[in-house]
Amino acid sequence: MLREKGFNTFVIVGGLTAWRKAGEPLESVPQNDLVKLPTFS
Amino acid sequence: MTDMVKLMAGHGYVLTFSLLFAEAIGLPFPAAIALVAAGAAVASHVLWGPSILLIAVAALLMGDTVQFWLGRYMGWLLLGFLCRVSINPETCILRSAESFYKRGKITLVIAKFIPGVNTMAAPLAGSMKMRFWQFLRLDFAGATLYATTYLTVGYLARDFLAAILRGFHAAGETMEAVVVTALVAYSVYRVVQYRKNRMYRVVPRVQVEELARRLASEDSSRVLIVDVRSHGYYDSGSSRIKNSIRIEPNNLEEEIKNLSKDKDIYLYCT
Repeated sequence: MLREKGFNTFVIVGGLTAWRKAGEPLESVPQNDLVKLPTFS
Repeated sequence: MTDMVKLMAGHGYVLTFSLLFAEAIGLPFPAAIALVAAGAAVASHVLWGPSILLIAVAALLMGDTVQFWLGRYMGWLLLGFLCRVSINPETCILRSAESFYKRGKITLVIAKFIPGVNTMAAPLAGSMKMRFWQFLRLDFAGATLYATTYLTVGYLARDFLAAILRGFHAAGETMEAVVVTALVAYSVYRVVQYRKNRMYRVVPRVQVEELARRLASEDSSRVLIVDVRSHGYYDSGSSRIKNSIRIEPNNLEEEIKNLSKDKDIYLYCT
Protein backbone atom coordinates (compact mmCIF):
# COMPACT_ATOMS: atom_id res chain seq x y z
CA MET A 1 0.00 0.00 0.00
CA LEU A 2 2.87 2.36 0.80
CA ARG A 3 4.33 1.75 -2.63
CA GLU A 4 0.95 2.33 -4.24
CA LYS A 5 0.86 5.73 -2.51
CA GLY A 6 4.26 6.65 -3.96
CA PHE A 7 6.55 5.88 -1.00
CA ASN A 8 9.91 4.31 -1.77
CA THR A 9 9.69 1.30 0.50
CA PHE A 10 11.99 -1.59 1.40
CA VAL A 11 11.73 -4.55 3.73
CA ILE A 12 14.60 -5.42 6.07
CA VAL A 13 15.40 -9.10 5.61
CA GLY A 14 15.12 -10.96 8.92
CA GLY A 15 13.60 -7.96 10.71
CA LEU A 16 14.56 -7.07 14.27
CA THR A 17 16.02 -10.51 14.90
CA ALA A 18 18.58 -10.12 12.10
CA TRP A 19 19.33 -6.56 13.21
CA ARG A 20 19.99 -7.72 16.76
CA LYS A 21 22.13 -10.66 15.59
CA ALA A 22 24.24 -8.31 13.49
CA GLY A 23 24.99 -6.31 16.63
CA GLU A 24 23.43 -3.13 15.30
CA PRO A 25 22.19 -0.54 17.82
CA LEU A 26 18.84 -0.88 19.56
CA GLU A 27 16.86 1.32 21.89
CA SER A 28 14.05 0.77 24.36
CA VAL A 29 10.53 1.31 23.14
CA PRO A 30 9.37 4.70 24.50
CA GLN A 31 6.87 4.53 27.35
CA ASN A 32 4.36 6.51 25.28
CA ASP A 33 4.28 3.76 22.69
CA LEU A 34 3.64 1.01 25.21
CA VAL A 35 0.06 -0.16 25.53
CA LYS A 36 -0.59 -2.31 28.55
CA LEU A 37 -3.45 -4.60 29.43
CA PRO A 38 -5.38 -3.77 32.59
CA THR A 39 -4.55 -6.22 35.35
CA PHE A 40 -6.55 -7.72 38.19
CA SER A 41 -3.64 -7.72 40.60
CA MET B 1 -30.92 -41.34 16.78
CA THR B 2 -30.18 -45.02 17.26
CA ASP B 3 -26.71 -44.57 15.76
CA MET B 4 -26.00 -41.68 18.08
CA VAL B 5 -27.21 -43.60 21.10
CA LYS B 6 -25.01 -46.56 20.14
CA LEU B 7 -22.03 -44.25 19.73
CA MET B 8 -22.69 -42.65 23.09
CA ALA B 9 -23.13 -46.04 24.74
CA GLY B 10 -19.77 -47.23 23.45
CA HIS B 11 -17.64 -44.11 23.79
CA GLY B 12 -19.86 -41.49 25.41
CA TYR B 13 -17.62 -40.55 28.33
CA VAL B 14 -14.39 -40.48 26.33
CA LEU B 15 -16.03 -38.68 23.42
CA THR B 16 -17.57 -36.02 25.63
CA PHE B 17 -14.33 -35.46 27.53
CA SER B 18 -12.25 -35.24 24.35
CA LEU B 19 -14.56 -32.83 22.53
CA LEU B 20 -14.95 -30.55 25.53
CA PHE B 21 -11.24 -30.51 26.28
CA ALA B 22 -10.43 -29.79 22.62
CA GLU B 23 -12.92 -26.93 22.54
CA ALA B 24 -11.60 -25.54 25.83
CA ILE B 25 -8.05 -25.31 24.48
CA GLY B 26 -9.30 -23.31 21.53
CA LEU B 27 -9.86 -25.92 18.84
CA PRO B 28 -13.01 -25.54 16.75
CA PHE B 29 -14.97 -28.51 18.10
CA PRO B 30 -18.71 -28.52 18.80
CA ALA B 31 -18.70 -28.86 22.58
CA ALA B 32 -22.28 -27.69 23.00
CA ILE B 33 -23.52 -30.31 20.53
CA ALA B 34 -21.53 -32.99 22.34
CA LEU B 35 -23.19 -31.98 25.61
CA VAL B 36 -26.67 -31.98 24.07
CA ALA B 37 -26.00 -35.45 22.64
CA ALA B 38 -24.75 -36.60 26.04
CA GLY B 39 -27.89 -35.18 27.65
CA ALA B 40 -30.03 -37.16 25.21
CA ALA B 41 -27.99 -40.27 26.05
CA VAL B 42 -28.63 -39.70 29.76
CA ALA B 43 -32.36 -39.50 29.00
CA SER B 44 -32.04 -42.82 27.15
CA HIS B 45 -30.30 -44.36 30.22
CA VAL B 46 -27.16 -44.92 28.17
CA LEU B 47 -24.99 -42.59 30.27
CA TRP B 48 -25.21 -41.70 33.95
CA GLY B 49 -25.99 -38.03 34.52
CA PRO B 50 -23.69 -37.21 37.47
CA SER B 51 -20.72 -38.93 35.82
CA ILE B 52 -21.09 -37.15 32.52
CA LEU B 53 -21.50 -33.81 34.32
CA LEU B 54 -18.35 -34.46 36.34
CA ILE B 55 -16.40 -35.46 33.22
CA ALA B 56 -17.63 -32.43 31.29
CA VAL B 57 -16.69 -29.97 34.03
CA ALA B 58 -13.29 -31.65 34.48
CA ALA B 59 -12.54 -31.45 30.74
CA LEU B 60 -13.51 -27.77 30.57
CA LEU B 61 -11.50 -26.91 33.68
CA MET B 62 -8.42 -28.73 32.41
CA GLY B 63 -8.57 -27.08 29.00
CA ASP B 64 -9.20 -23.64 30.49
CA THR B 65 -6.32 -24.11 32.93
CA VAL B 66 -3.97 -24.83 30.03
CA GLN B 67 -5.18 -21.64 28.32
CA PHE B 68 -4.85 -19.65 31.56
CA TRP B 69 -1.18 -20.55 32.02
CA LEU B 70 -0.41 -20.08 28.33
CA GLY B 71 -1.97 -16.64 28.63
CA ARG B 72 0.11 -15.90 31.74
CA TYR B 73 3.42 -16.83 30.11
CA MET B 74 2.81 -16.06 26.44
CA GLY B 75 0.67 -12.95 26.94
CA TRP B 76 0.20 -10.92 23.82
CA LEU B 77 1.66 -13.57 21.59
CA LEU B 78 -1.13 -16.02 22.43
CA LEU B 79 -3.84 -13.36 22.38
CA GLY B 80 -2.61 -12.19 19.00
CA PHE B 81 -2.82 -15.76 17.75
CA LEU B 82 -6.37 -16.13 19.03
CA CYS B 83 -7.31 -12.79 17.44
CA ARG B 84 -5.62 -13.62 14.14
CA VAL B 85 -8.89 -13.98 12.26
CA SER B 86 -9.95 -10.52 13.31
CA ILE B 87 -9.61 -7.66 10.78
CA ASN B 88 -7.63 -5.71 13.37
CA PRO B 89 -5.90 -8.09 15.81
CA GLU B 90 -4.66 -5.35 18.13
CA THR B 91 -8.09 -3.81 18.47
CA CYS B 92 -9.49 -7.29 19.06
CA ILE B 93 -7.05 -7.85 21.93
CA LEU B 94 -7.54 -4.43 23.51
CA ARG B 95 -11.33 -4.47 23.25
CA SER B 96 -11.54 -7.98 24.65
CA ALA B 97 -9.28 -6.99 27.54
CA GLU B 98 -11.22 -3.79 28.29
CA SER B 99 -14.54 -5.59 28.13
CA PHE B 100 -13.22 -8.38 30.32
CA TYR B 101 -11.92 -5.89 32.84
CA LYS B 102 -15.05 -3.69 32.93
CA ARG B 103 -17.54 -6.51 33.25
CA GLY B 104 -15.50 -7.91 36.04
CA LYS B 105 -14.72 -11.46 36.87
CA ILE B 106 -18.32 -12.54 36.33
CA THR B 107 -17.43 -12.64 32.62
CA LEU B 108 -15.70 -15.94 33.27
CA VAL B 109 -18.96 -17.45 34.48
CA ILE B 110 -20.92 -16.61 31.34
CA ALA B 111 -18.06 -16.56 28.80
CA LYS B 112 -18.70 -20.08 27.55
CA PHE B 113 -22.05 -19.04 26.16
CA ILE B 114 -20.57 -16.22 24.08
CA PRO B 115 -18.72 -17.21 20.91
CA GLY B 116 -15.32 -15.53 20.71
CA VAL B 117 -15.26 -14.50 24.35
CA ASN B 118 -15.33 -18.21 25.11
CA THR B 119 -11.88 -18.72 23.59
CA MET B 120 -10.40 -15.48 24.94
CA ALA B 121 -11.60 -15.56 28.55
CA ALA B 122 -9.12 -17.98 30.11
CA PRO B 123 -5.98 -16.63 28.38
CA LEU B 124 -7.10 -13.08 29.15
CA ALA B 125 -7.50 -13.97 32.82
CA GLY B 126 -3.96 -15.37 32.74
CA SER B 127 -2.51 -12.39 30.90
CA MET B 128 -4.28 -9.94 33.19
CA LYS B 129 -2.71 -11.53 36.28
CA MET B 130 -5.87 -12.93 37.84
CA ARG B 131 -5.02 -15.11 40.84
CA PHE B 132 -5.14 -18.76 39.82
CA TRP B 133 -7.44 -19.95 42.61
CA GLN B 134 -9.84 -17.14 41.91
CA PHE B 135 -9.80 -18.08 38.23
CA LEU B 136 -10.41 -21.72 39.09
CA ARG B 137 -13.38 -20.86 41.32
CA LEU B 138 -15.04 -18.67 38.69
CA ASP B 139 -14.24 -21.05 35.86
CA PHE B 140 -15.67 -23.94 37.85
CA ALA B 141 -18.93 -22.01 38.21
CA GLY B 142 -18.92 -21.20 34.49
CA ALA B 143 -18.11 -24.76 33.41
CA THR B 144 -20.79 -26.21 35.68
CA LEU B 145 -23.41 -23.75 34.43
CA TYR B 146 -22.48 -24.40 30.79
CA ALA B 147 -22.40 -28.20 31.08
CA THR B 148 -25.61 -28.35 33.13
CA THR B 149 -27.48 -26.11 30.70
CA TYR B 150 -26.64 -28.10 27.57
CA LEU B 151 -27.00 -31.48 29.23
CA THR B 152 -30.45 -30.42 30.40
CA VAL B 153 -31.36 -29.24 26.90
CA GLY B 154 -30.31 -32.62 25.50
CA TYR B 155 -32.15 -34.46 28.28
CA LEU B 156 -35.40 -32.58 27.75
CA ALA B 157 -35.23 -32.47 23.95
CA ARG B 158 -34.40 -36.10 23.24
CA ASP B 159 -37.50 -36.71 21.10
CA PHE B 160 -37.06 -33.42 19.29
CA LEU B 161 -33.43 -34.33 18.54
CA ALA B 162 -34.52 -37.68 17.11
CA ALA B 163 -36.83 -35.84 14.70
CA ILE B 164 -34.04 -33.48 13.68
CA LEU B 165 -31.65 -36.38 13.05
CA ARG B 166 -34.23 -38.10 10.87
CA GLY B 167 -34.49 -34.86 8.94
CA PHE B 168 -30.73 -34.77 8.53
CA HIS B 169 -30.69 -38.28 7.07
CA ALA B 170 -33.36 -37.28 4.57
CA ALA B 171 -31.45 -34.15 3.63
CA GLY B 172 -28.11 -35.97 3.48
CA GLU B 173 -27.56 -35.63 -0.27
CA THR B 174 -28.43 -31.95 -0.24
CA MET B 175 -26.01 -31.40 2.61
CA GLU B 176 -23.24 -33.17 0.69
CA ALA B 177 -23.81 -30.91 -2.31
CA VAL B 178 -23.72 -27.84 -0.07
CA VAL B 179 -20.48 -28.96 1.58
CA VAL B 180 -18.79 -29.72 -1.78
CA THR B 181 -19.90 -26.34 -3.17
CA ALA B 182 -18.58 -24.57 -0.08
CA LEU B 183 -15.22 -26.35 -0.39
CA VAL B 184 -14.90 -25.43 -4.06
CA ALA B 185 -15.83 -21.80 -3.32
CA TYR B 186 -13.27 -21.68 -0.52
CA SER B 187 -10.55 -23.12 -2.76
CA VAL B 188 -11.29 -20.53 -5.45
CA TYR B 189 -11.18 -17.78 -2.82
CA ARG B 190 -7.76 -18.99 -1.60
CA VAL B 191 -6.37 -19.06 -5.15
CA VAL B 192 -7.64 -15.52 -5.79
CA GLN B 193 -6.10 -14.32 -2.52
CA TYR B 194 -2.80 -16.00 -3.36
CA ARG B 195 -2.64 -14.32 -6.76
CA LYS B 196 -3.57 -10.98 -5.24
CA ASN B 197 -0.88 -11.21 -2.55
CA ARG B 198 1.85 -12.13 -5.03
CA MET B 199 2.28 -8.44 -5.78
CA TYR B 200 3.84 -7.97 -2.33
CA ARG B 201 6.84 -9.97 -3.52
CA VAL B 202 7.91 -7.03 -5.66
CA VAL B 203 8.73 -4.95 -2.57
CA PRO B 204 12.56 -4.73 -2.57
CA ARG B 205 14.31 -6.44 0.32
CA VAL B 206 17.55 -5.24 1.86
CA GLN B 207 20.03 -6.99 4.09
CA VAL B 208 20.86 -5.57 7.52
CA GLU B 209 24.48 -4.91 6.47
CA GLU B 210 23.38 -2.89 3.45
CA LEU B 211 21.12 -0.69 5.57
CA ALA B 212 23.78 -0.29 8.27
CA ARG B 213 26.24 0.92 5.62
CA ARG B 214 23.73 3.46 4.37
CA LEU B 215 23.06 4.69 7.91
CA ALA B 216 26.79 5.24 8.36
CA SER B 217 27.03 7.27 5.16
CA GLU B 218 26.20 10.91 4.50
CA ASP B 219 22.97 9.75 2.92
CA SER B 220 21.55 8.62 6.26
CA SER B 221 19.21 11.62 6.56
CA ARG B 222 17.09 10.15 3.76
CA VAL B 223 16.50 6.92 5.68
CA LEU B 224 13.42 6.26 7.77
CA ILE B 225 13.21 2.96 9.62
CA VAL B 226 9.70 1.90 10.52
CA ASP B 227 8.63 -0.70 13.03
CA VAL B 228 5.42 -2.43 11.92
CA ARG B 229 5.21 -5.05 14.65
CA SER B 230 1.76 -5.65 16.06
CA HIS B 231 2.41 -7.03 19.49
CA GLY B 232 6.05 -6.28 20.18
CA TYR B 233 5.30 -3.07 22.00
CA TYR B 234 3.23 -4.55 24.71
CA ASP B 235 5.83 -6.38 26.73
CA SER B 236 7.79 -4.21 29.11
CA GLY B 237 11.45 -4.05 28.22
CA SER B 238 10.76 -4.29 24.49
CA SER B 239 13.43 -2.91 22.23
CA ARG B 240 13.45 -1.64 18.67
CA ILE B 241 15.96 -0.50 16.05
CA LYS B 242 17.58 2.72 17.18
CA ASN B 243 15.89 5.86 15.82
CA SER B 244 13.07 3.89 14.23
CA ILE B 245 9.46 4.99 14.49
CA ARG B 246 6.36 2.93 14.89
CA ILE B 247 3.52 2.62 12.41
CA GLU B 248 0.35 0.79 13.30
CA PRO B 249 -0.11 -1.45 10.23
CA ASN B 250 -3.84 -1.69 10.80
CA ASN B 251 -4.17 2.08 10.69
CA LEU B 252 -2.01 2.75 7.66
CA GLU B 253 -4.35 5.24 5.97
CA GLU B 254 -3.95 7.64 8.90
CA GLU B 255 -0.33 6.87 9.68
CA ILE B 256 1.01 7.67 6.19
CA LYS B 257 -0.19 11.26 6.48
CA ASN B 258 2.80 11.85 8.77
CA LEU B 259 5.36 10.27 6.42
CA SER B 260 7.57 12.16 4.00
CA LYS B 261 8.00 10.95 0.43
CA ASP B 262 11.49 12.42 0.43
CA LYS B 263 12.74 9.54 2.54
CA ASP B 264 13.31 5.88 1.77
CA ILE B 265 11.26 3.79 4.16
CA TYR B 266 12.70 0.58 5.59
CA LEU B 267 10.07 -1.64 7.22
CA TYR B 268 10.71 -4.34 9.76
CA CYS B 269 8.88 -6.60 12.14
CA THR B 270 10.07 -9.27 14.56
